[in-house]
Amino acid sequence: MRACKALIRHCRFYPIDSVLSLGVIALIIWVLWASISWIVQAADWSVVSSHLPLFASGSYPLDQRWRPLLWISLLAALTLITLIVPIKRGSNRWMGMVLPWCWVFMIPLGLVLMAGGLGLTPVPSRAWGGISLTLLLTVCSAVLALPFGILLALGRTSDLPVLRHSSRLYIDVMRAVPLIAVLFFGKLLIPLFLPMQLEINQVLRAVVAFALFAAAYVAEDVRGGLQAIPETQREAAAVLGLSPLQSLQLVVLPQALRIAIPALTNQAIGLLQNTSLMALLGLVELLGIAQNLLANPAFIGRHLEVYVWLGALYWLFCTAMALLARKIEHSGPTLNGRSA
Amino acid sequence: MTTAIKADHICKTYGAEHRALDDVCVDVISGEVLVVMGPSGSGKSTLIRTFNGLEEIDSGELDVLGIKLDNEADPRHVQRIRRRVGMVFQQFNLFPHLSILENITLAPMRVQKQTRVQAEAKARSLLEQMGISEQADKYPAQLSGGQQQRVAIARALALNPEIMLFDEPTSALDPERVKEVLDAMRTLANQGMTMVVVTHELGFAREVADRVLFMDSGRVIESADAKTFFNQAQQERTRKFLNQIN
Repeated sequence: MRACKALIRHCRFYPIDSVLSLGVIALIIWVLWASISWIVQAADWSVVSSHLPLFASGSYPLDQRWRPLLWISLLAALTLITLIVPIKRGSNRWMGMVLPWCWVFMIPLGLVLMAGGLGLTPVPSRAWGGISLTLLLTVCSAVLALPFGILLALGRTSDLPVLRHSSRLYIDVMRAVPLIAVLFFGKLLIPLFLPMQLEINQVLRAVVAFALFAAAYVAEDVRGGLQAIPETQREAAAVLGLSPLQSLQLVVLPQALRIAIPALTNQAIGLLQNTSLMALLGLVELLGIAQNLLANPAFIGRHLEVYVWLGALYWLFCTAMALLARKIEHSGPTLNGRSA
Repeated sequence: MTTAIKADHICKTYGAEHRALDDVCVDVISGEVLVVMGPSGSGKSTLIRTFNGLEEIDSGELDVLGIKLDNEADPRHVQRIRRRVGMVFQQFNLFPHLSILENITLAPMRVQKQTRVQAEAKARSLLEQMGISEQADKYPAQLSGGQQQRVAIARALALNPEIMLFDEPTSALDPERVKEVLDAMRTLANQGMTMVVVTHELGFAREVADRVLFMDSGRVIESADAKTFFNQAQQERTRKFLNQIN
């Protein structure tokens, strides 16, 4: 009721505003209506629905398809559990301890499931594809980029000139080069330098290139966090007899990383979307599958359906990542009186 | 009577001109409470920060618990000294990402390699002593300033230090919170702890200090036992300062 009155008063005093607002609202409703009616009526989703396993796992051997599917399902389940279970420290310690380890375990598990070994039939990396490849690329490069980025950030803020300047040089060069150039470099040039018999796995090459690239950005995010920690925190650690390394590990980094979480989430989301560049280099990840499908004459005119579906998938993954990050951020205590 | 800290003609310069410590000589005897007073910028904080190696001295000789702390001191020696000298800061400097209990047990577990059980038992008894045992599982941001400062004292005491340094421990507190921190310090003094306290709290100095040191512009102007200092200060500068803050 009160909101209504306030609205009416607002309209009386700002008539032009009100007309504009009404126009915009009408436009939004029209666009929404048109989109929904297209999604429900006009669109032919058979191109998507008949290829769901293809989107999930690409050209993975049919009899082994359960492996990427299992990994995706486990990831989805773990994401849901992490989002639902409250992990305020102190109240639910057990979950707070187990969940991070589950996440860490997902990476080797994914690699083994995809590549084979340990009793599973080996599947070469050129047969990997779809969502499972997209997620694997993202997760592995993120996991490599984080420690490397932290080391770079520490080097960048070090007192040793050699370390400081070489870290800065690396960061500046990497940020000056477009990602696609780094990827081409990884794909085309690195094999030239290596002896013929040593053929590096293509997925591995992509992961390393992504990680090297992302590390430069991660380093700057972490540096922001490091600079937000007042010098007095290091002093307080020092007067307790902690060594500089212990002070970094126990006092400075835990706080700096917490502060850097929003920026690091940005990087992780960017990384996920950047994996689509690999389609240009012949890896059949999510975008690659879509392009292969659309190259089939049977699906001429079905571009919109496929790309809307892709958009929805990327949106889902990015939202899940953002929610997970928020969860991590809120699971710790408030720093410096500010709400975290 | 053994000497805990012996500073002999120590000097410290910041930049080209500013002499933070100018030829300072101080002895702190085991078990005594030395209060350092002086206007801001007089070098009193710098002085006590040299006592645990947070500031390096440029010249002179400084001996803390039998270990030399000069500009050639081995960083590992400095680290070892810091385990035996506790320090409490003006801004508490608790670790905001750790609970109160974790703040206190961090150094005993990581530096002295105590077990968690051992360290937590000690921490809880210290919190009890400070009158804040019910705060153990909270985080620093949830505590008042006075409570945080008492946690900081407990954190320093957890390493069983032989000397405690206090750098204006009550200056950042609301007036009504000052007393609880001073009471904790008074208890500590009564237990025979060697203490060096930088403070403007005249009442505390009068009542607890064995000796008072007055500094201005990096120099020691006057050093006397508390009674003489407050009743018959020798130096004009000291009397002026006391008049102003009274």
